[in-house]
Amino acid sequence: MSKELVARWYSKISETEKDLPLLLVDNYAYTPRMAYSEVMNGSALGAKLQSLIEMGKFGTSALDEQAIAKVRLQQILQSKPDKPMFATLSNKVYTPSELMQEIESGTQLGAQWLNNEISHMSNIVRVR
Amino acid sequence: MPALTNTFLFVEPTDNYLEYGSVPLHQIVEANKQAGQNITELMGVDANPERIKQELANTNSLFFAGIGHGSPSVFTVQNLAPLLHAENPDELALMKDRIVDLCSCLTAQQLGPALIDAGAVTYAGYKLEFWFYTGDAPGVSRAVQSPFLAEFAFIASLLRGKSTGEARADQLKKYDEEIAYWMTGEGKNHADADELARILELNKSISVFLGEASVSPSPQAGALPMQINPMITFTVASIPIVYLIYKAL
Repeated sequence: MSKELVARWYSKISETEKDLPLLLVDNYAYTPRMAYSEVMNGSALGAKLQSLIEMGKFGTSALDEQAIAKVRLQQILQSKPDKPMFATLSNKVYTPSELMQEIESGTQLGAQWLNNEISHMSNIVRVR
Repeated sequence: MPALTNTFLFVEPTDNYLEYGSVPLHQIVEANKQAGQNITELMGVDANPERIKQELANTNSLFFAGIGHGSPSVFTVQNLAPLLHAENPDELALMKDRIVDLCSCLTAQQLGPALIDAGAVTYAGYKLEFWFYTGDAPGVSRAVQSPFLAEFAFIASLLRGKSTGEARADQLKKYDEEIAYWMTGEGKNHADADELARILELNKSISVFLGEASVSPSPQAGALPMQINPMITFTVASIPIVYLIYKAL
């Protein structure tokens, strides 16, 4: 397999995605930017990360998936201005911090975002 | 009397953030309507239960679409006034023999199946929360329109003569296109692209279609003469004038 596949994958994902934890090797989570750097340097860790990217997997257990998904959403939402940005057609409006509260409290709304984040991670690692 | 083909009723409330959906819905109707179709749009204060019931009786439209706030068993319109309750047979009967598209939260849990049981031809809606982005004013950016562009692709295709099943396939395809736009396409470096991709993924994953896939509310739309956009007529008509001005210079 080639480094080109990793380079192509890396070039297609957004700048924010490049800095969100995604790939798990030996209980450590790596962002796409870290993975790209390791793969391009040809390290042993890079080979493991490259293998995950080629297989379109992020290498986690169900428990890890939930934890990584929460960290990813935290990272995205904490960087936003705290103004109403998200609304639903059940007449509710949320600021990023209010949405994060829902996620941390494990409400139905929070679970909706958390579960979606796991499937989003899957979509990101399979970008070609 | 069976509901009438080529007849469409759209309910477009504008309060309680609903303008975010009503603006793109109106634009999609304008862009896709065909000659020979009887289209009624009830907007703002006209999107009230009494007026809607009156129009349903007057037009007997085969197609009904509304945007509104919802719960598992209730669909509301302007001023959060309830229009349909899953437990009310008289209200469910309003949608008998019709293709029904409810852009709202949660109604696929109880109201949608109840409408089908009561004789609706199809029901399209959402089983959990339908999310949208309010970072800009209604209608001003691709970001605020994007969730609704995907949802209303169903309506655009039906107006253009496709069947309910084909329109549903087009809707799911449009969801994928909008997700790709924010995730890996031109929109990927928008300040809120990450949230927008997730909102679209969430909505797609809870989107529900029930009922007949082979019905078209406007079966001859493809064969009907296209309406000519007045702006295009103006542009074409102005070409010789511009040419003459250029020659005079």
